Amino acid sequence: MEYSNLRRQTIFMKKNLFDQGFLDEQFNQLEELQDESSPNFVEEVVDLFFKDSSRLLTNIEQAIDKYPQDFYRLDSLVHQFKGSGSSIGALRVKNECSVFKAHCNDRSLEGCRRSFQKIKREHATLKQKLESYFQLLRQVGPREHAVSSRK
Amino acid sequence: MTSSVAAAAPSPILSPKVVAAPPPLKAADRKVVPVVVAAAAAVDEVANEMHVLAVDDSSVDRAVIAKILRSSKYRVTTVESATRALELLCLGLVPNVNMIITDYWMPGMTGYELLKRVKESSKLKEIPVVIMSSENVPNRISRCLEEGAEDFLLKPVRPSDVSRLCNRIR
Repeated sequence: MEYSNLRRQTIFMKKNLFDQGFLDEQFNQLEELQDESSPNFVEEVVDLFFKDSSRLLTNIEQAIDKYPQDFYRLDSLVHQFKGSGSSIGALRVKNECSVFKAHCNDRSLEGCRRSFQKIKREHATLKQKLESYFQLLRQVGPREHAVSSRK
Repeated sequence: MTSSVAAAAPSPILSPKVVAAPPPLKAADRKVVPVVVAAAAAVDEVANEMHVLAVDDSSVDRAVIAKILRSSKYRVTTVESATRALELLCLGLVPNVNMIITDYWMPGMTGYELLKRVKESSKLKEIPVVIMSSENVPNRISRCLEEGAEDFLLKPVRPSDVSRLCNRIR
């Protein structure tokens, strides 16, 4: 049946996201919170994250290019980014932020630049993958959301 | 101990999560009468429900903490800064707050400073304050507890952390 095919695909997709380290347990926690009163909770929170993080990325980029560098501010910006990433279970993003923070601590501009490129890549990849995941979930339909939220 | 804020309701209905139709005896106490399982909005109107003020500069974290609390049938008001939180509290714009849960690290006033202000205020000091932080710094944790914080939660906050907490604060 087309329906169970789609359902299977969503399960695989999610499993891959976990296996490849894009997501961690926090994402599951969010899915468990989803219920009839907020059936799109996870997608809404993820949207909030990407809206917020785009702004932060721009600010970080500006702060890196500014001279003299304000490592304190950089650290503070990445700290925010890391925090919200961790709240949605964005594991790779969170880990790369930790690397960035270590470079800030060492006052290594070059390290920060390299790390920032990685953060941007991980961020873009995650965005794309989650968009596909939610799109697929929508095709599977609300009935499926209700079922999975009862687990 | 007279406190205008820590509403010690004689029979607090603080059971988390799923609530079947309330027993007939209680129906008389409720402002909202429907016997069917109350929709989330109606539940917010119950007089003796716990009201939590959640403070966090991150929109993501506000959404998550609010959802966790509402899933346990608590009424939640969210604000994005400690300054705003104090404003609302001091002006009496958020009446009957039973608990404040705040992020530690925020631009402007930190959660720690908010904690201190609340504990220094004769009007607000009875309100339990919980600090959340993404960083596990023992020094920070003990300072907050010494300053009178009810608890210290590590982020990302999970539903189990919060329900454990709310069960203690009644």
